[in-house]
Amino acid sequence: MMQDQIRDVLATHGRMAVDPREVDEQADLYDLGMTSHASVDVMLALEDAFDIEFPDEVLKKSTFASVHNIAQVVESLVKMPV
Amino acid sequence: MITVPGDVDGHRVRVGCDVADIDDVENSLAAFGDRYLRKVFTASEISDCRGRNRVSRLAARFAAKEAVIKAFAEPDTAFPWREIEVTRDGPLPVLRLNGTLAERAQRQGWLSSSLSLSHADCHAMAVVVVVCRPDESEVAAGTAN
Repeated sequence: MMQDQIRDVLATHGRMAVDPREVDEQADLYDLGMTSHASVDVMLALEDAFDIEFPDEVLKKSTFASVHNIAQVVESLVKMPV
Repeated sequence: MITVPGDVDGHRVRVGCDVADIDDVENSLAAFGDRYLRKVFTASEISDCRGRNRVSRLAARFAAKEAVIKAFAEPDTAFPWREIEVTRDGPLPVLRLNGTLAERAQRQGWLSSSLSLSHADCHAMAVVVVVCRPDESEVAAGTAN
């Protein structure tokens, strides 16, 4: 499950005050303690986990604001032709 | 009660600030190495941060990038970190924008900026002040202060 992998990455790199495996997919991750700098680590770890690269146009705060938002972007990048 | 205006002689003023945990930068370097550096910092910034206090300097530059993002006040648009660059004019840090962010700054009427960086043992911080040209519609209507 893509969301499970994303939650594992968040647990390792998100530096959040709660366990991201247990938060609602729409919950605001910044409200739960993730910093802008932690979102860089999350992005790099997602690139490793899914063999993708985040292009400049998705480097916005909302991309990393929830598990749902991350999953949407990762899904679109996974489907992109190499 | 008064509403304090956000402009000086019609020139709008924007401020952004941010603080970065130096240990977080150290941990990112340990975990992702050059990929982390190349994703966030320009070649010039990486070069400027060599030597003593390397991690603190990188953390201050990350804080500067986030401070600039806040000064743009457009939270749902893309902010590639490498389009925001901290350079130096002698001892003073200077802000340089590239690519889409340079275009956006022009659209917002950015005329000049002033950047200040600092760090202690645990955190680095940055403040940026931006002066923008008067809003032309307000000037035409005679409402600019």
